Amino acid sequence: MIELKGVTKGFNAGRPNQFTAVDDVSLTVEAGRLTVLKGPSGSGKTTLLSLTGCMARPTSGRIFLRGVRTLSMTGGEGDVFEVSSLPERFLTEIRRTAFGFIFQHFSLVKGITAIENVMLPAYPTGEGHASFKKRADRLMDMFGITRHADARVDWLSGGELQRVAIARALINNPTAVIADEPTAHLDSRLSREFMEIVGRLRDEGKTVLIASHDPIVYDSPLADTVVEMRDGRVTGTRKKS
Amino acid sequence: MIQHPAVIALIVSSLTISCMALYAAWCGLQILLKWDLNSGSELQLGLERRTYLISTILAYALLFQILSLFLFIYTAEDIHTLFTGAMCAAGTLNADVYGYPTLLLKVFNCILAGVWLIINYADVRGYDYPLIKAKYTLLMVLAPLMVLEALVQFGYFSGLRADVITSCCGSLFSADRPNVAGELAALPHSGIVPAFYGCIAATVLCGAVFILKGRGGYLFSVMSGLSFVVCLAALISSFCLYFYELPTHHCPFCILQKEYGYAGYALYASLLGGVVAGTGVGALMPFRGVASLRGVIPGVQRRLTVAAVLLYLLFAAIVTYRMLTSSLVIFS
Amino acid sequence: MKTPINRHMNILEFALSSLLRRKARNLSLLGVYTLVVFAIASLIFFVHALKREAALLLKDAPDIVVQKMVAGRHDLIPVGYGKAIGEIRGVSKVTPRLWGYYYDPVIGANYTLLVPDDGRVTPDNIIIGSGVARTQRVNAGDLIAFRTYNRLPLLLTVKDILPSESEIVASDLVVMSAPDFKSMFNMPEGLATDLALTVANPRELSTIAAKVAEMYPDTRPIMKDEILRTYDAIFDWRGGMMVVMLSVAALSFIIVAWDKATGLSAEERREIGILKSIGWETSDVLVLKFWEGAAVSLTAFLSGVALAYVHIFFFSATFFEHALKGWSVLYPQFRLTPAIDAYQLSVLFFLSVMPYTAATILPAWLSATADPDSAMRS
Repeated sequence: MIELKGVTKGFNAGRPNQFTAVDDVSLTVEAGRLTVLKGPSGSGKTTLLSLTGCMARPTSGRIFLRGVRTLSMTGGEGDVFEVSSLPERFLTEIRRTAFGFIFQHFSLVKGITAIENVMLPAYPTGEGHASFKKRADRLMDMFGITRHADARVDWLSGGELQRVAIARALINNPTAVIADEPTAHLDSRLSREFMEIVGRLRDEGKTVLIASHDPIVYDSPLADTVVEMRDGRVTGTRKKS
Repeated sequence: MIQHPAVIALIVSSLTISCMALYAAWCGLQILLKWDLNSGSELQLGLERRTYLISTILAYALLFQILSLFLFIYTAEDIHTLFTGAMCAAGTLNADVYGYPTLLLKVFNCILAGVWLIINYADVRGYDYPLIKAKYTLLMVLAPLMVLEALVQFGYFSGLRADVITSCCGSLFSADRPNVAGELAALPHSGIVPAFYGCIAATVLCGAVFILKGRGGYLFSVMSGLSFVVCLAALISSFCLYFYELPTHHCPFCILQKEYGYAGYALYASLLGGVVAGTGVGALMPFRGVASLRGVIPGVQRRLTVAAVLLYLLFAAIVTYRMLTSSLVIFS
Repeated sequence: MKTPINRHMNILEFALSSLLRRKARNLSLLGVYTLVVFAIASLIFFVHALKREAALLLKDAPDIVVQKMVAGRHDLIPVGYGKAIGEIRGVSKVTPRLWGYYYDPVIGANYTLLVPDDGRVTPDNIIIGSGVARTQRVNAGDLIAFRTYNRLPLLLTVKDILPSESEIVASDLVVMSAPDFKSMFNMPEGLATDLALTVANPRELSTIAAKVAEMYPDTRPIMKDEILRTYDAIFDWRGGMMVVMLSVAALSFIIVAWDKATGLSAEERREIGILKSIGWETSDVLVLKFWEGAAVSLTAFLSGVALAYVHIFFFSATFFEHALKGWSVLYPQFRLTPAIDAYQLSVLFFLSVMPYTAATILPAWLSATADPDSAMRS
């Protein structure tokens, strides 16, 4: 589904604190499978994740998306197109429809309720409020957090926040779900529950990409591909046979 | 210098708009010089972010510009009592040599800014910023014009002195004065009214052809520009008479007043909208072939054409209605 | 169904919720904004209402007033001039007017003494303006002592006090009979202060004025609209002066607005970073900022206008009186008639909302261009 060719991402070019987060990485993320990026912190996993998810543009190299249909893409042959040089407007539109993100620290907006958080990604899409509210209700029900719908997120526990974050990632029916260190703040039980949810998503046909240094994630039997990274480079790929 | 609060408001607004336009132009210059879409460098990303700023600035600038155009006319109307012989805004504008130039510049800048926004609208829908060079080159023209307008307006207001004897619209727009305004008034009724209807019909026809067949975009654009001029000429020489119910009152500003139902606003707004939409169609024509916009421009142009046609028809409807219901009869 | 309206409505909802979430910060900005709108609006309403009042009252002023000039100064005019002037085509009536100024050393105020042309006051009686009544502390039926030109006292009975509607031009007026007037000033027979002309067709005013000036080169004809114009110009000038002063206040407000807009709290930055990360595009965040600004501007504008309305029309502009009404011992006290229109509101808009909006464009954009991957990196 996503293909990276020789992708490099550097920061602070020309300045003394210049560094390269991702260095000449070529990688394929297969559709409908769970891919895990494994590596210590500072290995470039997070940057690679943001590049793959069309959140950032590479300094050099190309990124291709396959099998993603969006409103505005009329160029490119078939349904493969290159996203590395797209303007932000288009990138965001693709991101909105194709990807759902779960962040390491959940990154929920404080001061508003759980359901409002879940609905936030749908606000700028032009869809009617009633329509995405229904979806949000369904998602919260699916993850068993309906009773927290009107509670401010400031008052929820780690596990509950996790589920709200997952529901939010799914509000726009994305093709792929991307998660960055999702189990970092969870105990083993909740981590395993999370992997269970991931399994469900994969079975529904979604592509899942997770960056983690937690063995519960990368040693999970659900992981179809594990990519090892160190210092911004890929050092090994292991595929489930 | 008349220190009316509205005058100060106008000067403040034109100053603000000029500063905004100059800043936008400076950013635009950076973009023209250093733009490279294929580079993922931080400079390029920064430039792309800047484009948002420029279009936001110009959207606000256009809004303020249009409002200040009407405020300008209304202020000229309001302070006419300070000048002997001035019966309405026309007299105020004539009290200083910069009066009409200010008005003309304001209108022109409104149209140019409107066209810029139309080009911008099309540009952002292309995935490779196809119109970026054209857009920012136009901005290089627009920004100095806005500064010029601010200067001319300031020159106008600072040159105004109360009690100056000035010719009011009666003599300014009467048939025997040898200036443009007088010439318009002298256009024969029997000529200008059919010409007006002919122009409107031609514009609608061209628009219909363009919408249905997709051909003749340039022709439509030119027709709409021509219609703008003809509509104004017809308004001043013929149609406004029906509003005033006086065969000699040719002033274009008095129809903005309350006693005529503020009809002037509807008329001028529809004309302005029509000419901006029509010119926009023409401005987008050269880019129909661009790959990333092939699916975008025809749709945008269609919508603009419909808008322009409707607005001109609205204008025609209002003046025709007034002509038919007025107690003044010129044609037997 | 995806429509632009939905997008705006949803973002507007979020904008309002985020404004309410940061009450303390936004309330202080709102307060200052409202104050600025209030000050400018009060000024504009006041000047406009005064002009309107003056125009309404001067409607009944004579169309042309002819004064005699000697050595560049106003002198008494022979009533005989009126005969020839009355024959000018277009002049329907010529009325000699008797009026003058009287200084009361006890109170320290100037009164205008006037003889009406309808004989409504009999000798020994006067009708006075409310300003005179106030400073002299008299009511109808009381006596006022005047001093004539040769220091002799002249006691006159107050028959009536002029209604308060006329305060703006008649506050210091004393209407008396012709014989009393002549006793006061020893005005010779056959002379008047000036001549008031009634002209049937207003379009001929300047022609007639020119003819009068030609007929009697030692006179100066003053036309009604010249008086109106002068009042207008003075009000405008005074109003403009105050606007210039207020613009200093407005400028500081702009700086405050800019400061508030650029100084986003860490929490706000985080929030925008999250929005960008979950799929809000820069233009969506700009729309958010637009609606936030619009909500604040609308609230401040409406509150400021409402407060100014009350201030001017119920409290008679207590804060501005002194600057705008001129030096005088006798301050007219009057209730201005409420008169605001779209024009004044648009001038107000240009002086308040527009600078605020312009100042917040750049900070809004700066905050909106947060990196989409900031939530990843936090």
